Amino acid sequence: MTLALTGHAVARGIAIGQTHLAERNELEIGEYRIAENEAESEVLRYRQAVEAAAEQLDRLAGRVTRNVGDSAGEIIHTHVMMLNDSKLRQETEDHIRRELCNAEWALQSQLEQIMAEFRSLDDEYIRSRGEDIIQVVRLVQSKLNDASAGKPFENIPDRLAETLVIATELTPGELAILHEKGVAGIVTEHGGPHSHTAILASSLGIPAVLGVRQARNLLREGETLVLDGGLGVVYADPDEAILEHYHQVQRDTARFRDSLEKVRHRPCHSIDGEDITLHGNGERREELQQAVDQGACGIGLYRTEFLYLRGMAPDEDTQLAEYTAAIEALNGIPLTIRTLDLGADKTDPQFDYSRLRGSVNPALGLRAIRLCLRDTDLFKTQLRAILRASARGPVRCLIPMLTSTREILMVRSLLEEAREELDEKAQPYDEKMPLGGMIEVPAAALAVDDLGRYLDFLSVGTNDLLQYALAADRLDEQVAHLYDMQHPGVVRLLQSIFRAADRLQIPVAVCGEVAGDRRYTRLLLALGLREFSMHPARLLEVKQVITETNISRARAALTHWLNESGGQVELSLQQLLDQSQQSQ
Amino acid sequence: MISRAVTIINKLGLHARAATRLVNSAAAFDCELWISNGEKTINGKSIMGVLTLAASRGTQLNIEAKGKDENEAIEGIIELINSRFGEEE
Repeated sequence: MTLALTGHAVARGIAIGQTHLAERNELEIGEYRIAENEAESEVLRYRQAVEAAAEQLDRLAGRVTRNVGDSAGEIIHTHVMMLNDSKLRQETEDHIRRELCNAEWALQSQLEQIMAEFRSLDDEYIRSRGEDIIQVVRLVQSKLNDASAGKPFENIPDRLAETLVIATELTPGELAILHEKGVAGIVTEHGGPHSHTAILASSLGIPAVLGVRQARNLLREGETLVLDGGLGVVYADPDEAILEHYHQVQRDTARFRDSLEKVRHRPCHSIDGEDITLHGNGERREELQQAVDQGACGIGLYRTEFLYLRGMAPDEDTQLAEYTAAIEALNGIPLTIRTLDLGADKTDPQFDYSRLRGSVNPALGLRAIRLCLRDTDLFKTQLRAILRASARGPVRCLIPMLTSTREILMVRSLLEEAREELDEKAQPYDEKMPLGGMIEVPAAALAVDDLGRYLDFLSVGTNDLLQYALAADRLDEQVAHLYDMQHPGVVRLLQSIFRAADRLQIPVAVCGEVAGDRRYTRLLLALGLREFSMHPARLLEVKQVITETNISRARAALTHWLNESGGQVELSLQQLLDQSQQSQ
Repeated sequence: MISRAVTIINKLGLHARAATRLVNSAAAFDCELWISNGEKTINGKSIMGVLTLAASRGTQLNIEAKGKDENEAIEGIIELINSRFGEEE
């Protein structure tokens, strides 16, 4: 008979397979006294255990970063930082010396103090970070212990295909190891939706249900299990109907994936023969690689802020090295480098940061190109690095948040100075490197006829443009409903941008989130957009919609909607556009 | 010793990844770094300390640095916070 158990739905996906119950991870922590002259050797024993644990996690973080990506690796790296945190490390050592007790116990006492502090916090997400600290401490305690206790993965088979692992609890590090062995899904008794294990399972794409009480007691070794990670339910010994349903869901998912695969090698044009260009957004190595793999014609948005987050502003050579690495990863497709898009003046010590609160609105303040034109040394360093990169592969330069023609002329003149400086040192660059501008400010969107004359291409940053045009912060839940891509004003604003670019005969792309949202693909096509730039994971989905769209029909439906109904119809614009594809 | 006020503006606040980046950045400087949220003051080089600030979006923090590279440190940390830790929103 089917047994259904519920827990936290943390990582979507269906897994069907056989269970494997991992050994319990239980350590008996005892307290014993040590002699005064043994204190230093006990501290040493503790240090060695910390170092062994850190080394193990470091290696794992490296493998996960390489195989999965930076953000997954960062989760494990956070555990290494906790291990080395003076709050844990120094104070445990002090505790050993002061109380003359064994390292395991000193660590446990220190853990309890830290946990008391975490438990007293109001923020549920931060409270769950206490779990990370428990896991880190357990790892050190298991290193202090010679026996096999606390090493629950010693008995795990090497290959876990079609196996669902049932555990009391899993650390992110343990989950990464299971992933390397090909685990199909995971169920744990402890661990919440905010746990790092949950976040990592989701980014690794492992279907997971956490927090299933008594899972290890209720499930048997080797029985068939269906796991629905989206619902947070597992079915043990499922009956025919349930199995059939989930096999169907798996087949549908596989079919959708296959249908995406089919468009991968097809040319990207609409049913009525319009060629559409698809670009990827990204700066991390895995994103660039993914864009190439998914057939992007270029990188339409390479953000450079990450270079400035390492403390000091990066010098020219450091930037050049980063840009060159990106160019090399791209196999000859063009790289659009967006200049610094930061939000406050860093080099002026007179600038009072507290002014960013209240009266001064950072979204409308000194940021992006406004900041760069004020700190021209900072900006020219970046321009020189971008120019030098342009000698090493196809590079375009994109300026964020343009408001006026005057700003473009200032950028052009700084670019000229940068070229002269490079000429003096006989450093090569592409003399024809295209200069583009981001259209995010509504007034600039309405003045594309003027601004566009001084630019080689345009990229519409819809995230900010919509926010400014609708005067609604989409992160503010109270007004998020106003943030609407289908507002007639937004639709007309976008249409006017694309028409102006067409009159000027310069390419225009959209690089905001809507470009990668297949619900809006037809709308953007109907408005006249022919170039999309999006997260590489969305490329095939959007391409599929494009190949299934007759643009002239969609345009007729849009014109009707704008002229006749003023947006007041039963169906949403999106539904109308979909319907236009079915008639006849 | 110098000190400056700064407001957390990224959507998720000082969550684990942001805290990791902040501590990584702080560790690169020699000076002492203290961060306060109201009454609570913690060592800016301690990941656990930074997490227990529980600083969500809109929280005002005070940052204090003491040492020979205190100016660079405080500029670096404030820039990191103002750039939303490299996050999109």
